[in-house]
Amino acid sequence: MNHPELCRRVTEKLMRTIFHLDLDAFFVSVERIVDPSLNEKPVVVGADPKYGRGVVAACSYEARDYGLHSGMPIKQAYRLCPNAIYVHGSHGEYGRFSKAVKYILSKYAPQIEQASIDEFYMDFTGCTHIYGPLFMFASKLQKEIWNTLKLPCSIGIARNKTIAKIASDFMKPRGVTYVLPEMEKEFLAPMPAESMPGIGKETLKHLHHKGFYTLGDIAGVKEDYFSAAFGKYGTDMWRKANGQGSEYLSLPADQKSISHERTFHQDEMNKCYVESILFKLTGKVCQTLRNNDWQASTITIKLRYSDFVTITRSKTIKQTDDDRVIFRTASEMLRKAYNRRVAVRLVGLSLTKFSPFSEQQKLFESAEERREKMLSAVSVIRSKFGFDSIKVGSF
Amino acid sequence: MEFKVNSKELEKLLTKIIPAVPTRTPMPILENFLFEIKNGLLTIYATDLEISLKSSINIVTEENISIVVPAKLLYDVIRSLGDTTVHFNITGNGKLSLTTDNGQYSLSYLDSTEFPEIPSFPDQNENEDLAEISIPGMDLKEALEKTSFAMSKEEMRPAMMGTLFEFGEDGLRFVSTDGHRLVNMLNKKITSGINNQYIVPEKAISVLLKILDEKDVKLYMSKTHISFKLNDIELITRLIGQKYPDYKSVIPLENEFELKLKTKDLHNAIKRMMLFSTSNTRRVKFSIKENNLEISAEDLDIGASGKENVVCTYSGDSIDIGFNSAYVNDILSHLVNLKEIIFKLHSPTKAVVIVPDEKDENIDLMMLIMPVRLNN
Repeated sequence: MNHPELCRRVTEKLMRTIFHLDLDAFFVSVERIVDPSLNEKPVVVGADPKYGRGVVAACSYEARDYGLHSGMPIKQAYRLCPNAIYVHGSHGEYGRFSKAVKYILSKYAPQIEQASIDEFYMDFTGCTHIYGPLFMFASKLQKEIWNTLKLPCSIGIARNKTIAKIASDFMKPRGVTYVLPEMEKEFLAPMPAESMPGIGKETLKHLHHKGFYTLGDIAGVKEDYFSAAFGKYGTDMWRKANGQGSEYLSLPADQKSISHERTFHQDEMNKCYVESILFKLTGKVCQTLRNNDWQASTITIKLRYSDFVTITRSKTIKQTDDDRVIFRTASEMLRKAYNRRVAVRLVGLSLTKFSPFSEQQKLFESAEERREKMLSAVSVIRSKFGFDSIKVGSF
Repeated sequence: MEFKVNSKELEKLLTKIIPAVPTRTPMPILENFLFEIKNGLLTIYATDLEISLKSSINIVTEENISIVVPAKLLYDVIRSLGDTTVHFNITGNGKLSLTTDNGQYSLSYLDSTEFPEIPSFPDQNENEDLAEISIPGMDLKEALEKTSFAMSKEEMRPAMMGTLFEFGEDGLRFVSTDGHRLVNMLNKKITSGINNQYIVPEKAISVLLKILDEKDVKLYMSKTHISFKLNDIELITRLIGQKYPDYKSVIPLENEFELKLKTKDLHNAIKRMMLFSTSNTRRVKFSIKENNLEISAEDLDIGASGKENVVCTYSGDSIDIGFNSAYVNDILSHLVNLKEIIFKLHSPTKAVVIVPDEKDENIDLMMLIMPVRLNN
């Protein structure tokens, strides 16, 4: 039996305890570490407002006072708060800090799922005997991250991932919220509907239209009614509002796909450029693949035109982890799929159907072996100096 | 113009030619047969641009003509007719009518100018370096049956997607490999003055296996094509114009430990072990000790495992070595006519050589398999 499966069986009967740790205004916090002069000033990390395209990736709490929030179009943000300091963002730096946080967490948490660059789920089920009361322990964890990295964070503790996430959002910044078991409904009821992850502007409009303003409103009606009104997604929403959610982390072993996509700054007509981005994406997905010691056999490309028509194409080949093979297959599919005379908005690449790296020995190794050695050397360099420290010139 | 043919004879001929007609092609003209009538001889051609097949039949007519006819329709009609005489009537308005005792069928034909030119041997290539040799059909068939299964299906290494024909002083050698296993067979009876290598693509090999019989085959080799002339049919194929991997350098010369066993015993045991090996690795483990071979496999996903002991003769060091069970099975199913075989081993990570126990004075056969690393 593999390790995660064993953990799952052992902890099955215990009360679940999931932590959700969210780094507060992460990009801004990092920028402030890099340049302390930004402290206590409204700071916006995101696209350049001069180009007028793109969104706010993160903004400081000072900027939020002007009505800014992440995800807002940069133009609108600029209108609301022209005096804020707009930073384009140093991505290599973010990755390094995110990794450092994960390192601290991994000292304590038996299982960690990194949901994004600044969000972590941890499974602390059955750990009270080791760490004592979990609320106190969460504050300790928060303090350690602040003392070592000067990064503020908020932690939510609950029985499942959904509530833990809502809880971490509840007392931001630097809050710790523990939703006691059996108290989930009471905790959720007064919350506005949009506090549930997954409810966006459009869904909110529909909910308001039908008279649902709080999560309590949603939980108060019958499941059948709600799912009839909102379809399959409605059932999911209703369950979440009633305090149900995933109690287990999705660990790398369960990972079903590795994907990357890129939205262009400006819609792109140049096929060569689109292909060059696909080339970059290939490098990224393959690196993740090799880091996991996997090989993939299904390659899928995604192409979104400027009119939002989206096309996906898949091909299954013999399992591989080689950039060269994957890029060749992906670019061939892209060339076939890109048949309209419309600019492209987004291109994406994903790999699925994994199998462990084959231990089959090869006869004519010279060339392939050299390549394998080269790829593993690239992995070592990238793990030490970051993804962009070394790039493929040509195949 | 008109001529008559027996439907059964024509069916026999078309059955041999039809494998060269591609089922899906961007060039619709290739979905046709080329009918060439010249001096009372009807020659029918089909090609998919990689391989071409042609065969002839004598007819009574005085005119010469060249047309292209829809291949599948004609073949299906002739096949369905039973034994009868078919009158062909080619009219000037693009219609070909077939008349039998009871029926009349009309097909459209096209002009032959668009049909790709098929290389012809030996007459058109008189100026070129053309090598030729005659080989007994069964010798060629046996060699291809034994070697062709190891050809690669991966387009990354085009040279390995064919079988190597290597003519040398010691005879004609056939080699095929996919980078994980290799078959090397030397037929010492076939000697020629030729000293050259040719890589014949997989499609041609599979067609050859269907049409070869005990009669002699005449081979013509140019730089780009090879022609196999049988009694009543000719196969012409493009050669793979790449360098074949240096197979000699990967054949180990000093595998000192010899494991001798009955082919059938091992083959049956492997087939059972395949039921238990994990579907994505298909790994089977050979634990070899003095006069004792234990083979075992397990599938962790479904929690099943199996092991068996196979009677053998072995006096070398104890070795635990893993293989892809499908590869072992492939090799053994091509050696079933041999009573006993010998596995020559060196270590768990080095190539293993498999040879027949009894030497044949005319044939040197050697198969090679690369192990799968065991995780312990």
